[in-house]
Amino acid sequence: MMMINADYEQYQKLTQELRRGILVLAALSQLEEEKYGYSLISSLAEKGLDIEQGTLYPLLRRLEEQGLLNSEWNTEGSRPRRYYQINSEGSQVLGDLTREWRNLTDVMEKLLAGSSS
Amino acid sequence: MSLLDRYIHEVGRFLPRKKRGSIQAELRSTMVDALEDRYGTEANQDQVEEILLEFGKPRDVAASYHPRGQYLVGPGLFPLFQMVAWIVVAAVLGAQLLAFGVGVFIAGEPFSALETLAALVSSVPASLGWVLITFMILQYFDAKPYLDEETWDPKSLPEINPEERLKKGELILGLVGGILILVLVTLFPQWVGFVTTPGGAFYPNPIILEYLVLIQVSLLATILMNIYLLWKGNWTFLTRVIKLGLDAFGVVILGFLIQGHNAWLAVKGQSSFDAWISSIESNNWELVGMHAFRLAFVVAFVVTVIEIFVTIYRMARSKMTSDVSAKDFVLKVE
Repeated sequence: MMMINADYEQYQKLTQELRRGILVLAALSQLEEEKYGYSLISSLAEKGLDIEQGTLYPLLRRLEEQGLLNSEWNTEGSRPRRYYQINSEGSQVLGDLTREWRNLTDVMEKLLAGSSS
Repeated sequence: MSLLDRYIHEVGRFLPRKKRGSIQAELRSTMVDALEDRYGTEANQDQVEEILLEFGKPRDVAASYHPRGQYLVGPGLFPLFQMVAWIVVAAVLGAQLLAFGVGVFIAGEPFSALETLAALVSSVPASLGWVLITFMILQYFDAKPYLDEETWDPKSLPEINPEERLKKGELILGLVGGILILVLVTLFPQWVGFVTTPGGAFYPNPIILEYLVLIQVSLLATILMNIYLLWKGNWTFLTRVIKLGLDAFGVVILGFLIQGHNAWLAVKGQSSFDAWISSIESNNWELVGMHAFRLAFVVAFVVTVIEIFVTIYRMARSKMTSDVSAKDFVLKVE
């Protein structure tokens, strides 16, 4: 009922806020193999998660600055590309975040099961 | 130059110089990837525009690479910045008016409303600019306004007690007034006295000059205490004890000043109230002024004594636990 009355812009903002929280987990989960920015966007999109380009690239840099990703420029292809890959610290964080995510989804499922009925 | 080049150049304008080249290179690489993936190697102008619109405004794209956000003074420092800015503006305006008063009434300089107004208008933005620069530097070095933030303990939250709430406006006013008087007696001790007409004869007050050092110490201590109070935001047992001590010190100084004026007037054989009236009738301005100073100090003496009793009363009424007061003393000692 509330969704019907909610202003569309407001709804967009809330959705963005909700999605923002999962971006780190989503990105880390796809970087076991090295990927460049656009290939990561495509990989996420293929699995159903569309991320704005302007959001993902700064996020990758932040994760690298935080020591969770390694990156290097590769000049062998048609143009130079910066490749990112998760490192050991990132893998540990990924494991922790995954457990947290599963706990959260369990809790949210229970909460939403109660509210949707 | 292509639209893509112009876009990347424009983004670079808003990026920090250190990372600019690397971010621009990555941005170009990913944008070309996106173009090729969607339209092949021969994308036309409209298609490039479409991709650029998807990426967003250059300023917004650049902003997303600033991890700390784009502000000169962040939310952590802003309340302190705001408080300091108000104090500085009030002090600067007060100092300007003081200098103007001294110039016209004591030095006998001609009065110019336009010049005074121009000085007021130009000094406020200049002083605010300095405050801002100082806080920008603090922000750059990520200064924390509250040193004990990391070891914060919920039990240290102050009791909700109206008796301990500070009257901020009153404090700031007292702070500004104290600074102005301190500046006056320190920089222009020769002008501590009274004048009858603008540019007319000036009578220095020898008794104030005699106790100048004590007055300066008292003013400085009160200013420091007011700054500390503004910083902490509420009264504590410790600050009330300090206030009590400072008030007692003030009473002693006022006692010296009254005594000094009595002695000075007695030497002139004019210490009674009747003598004051007759000095007004005979236009003996030096005597009139010294009588007026003595009266002002007597009033200040009475007010300060009342304040001491009020402080003691409030301390008695305040609900204080021994651990809170002990913690205050530990902090002070550290």
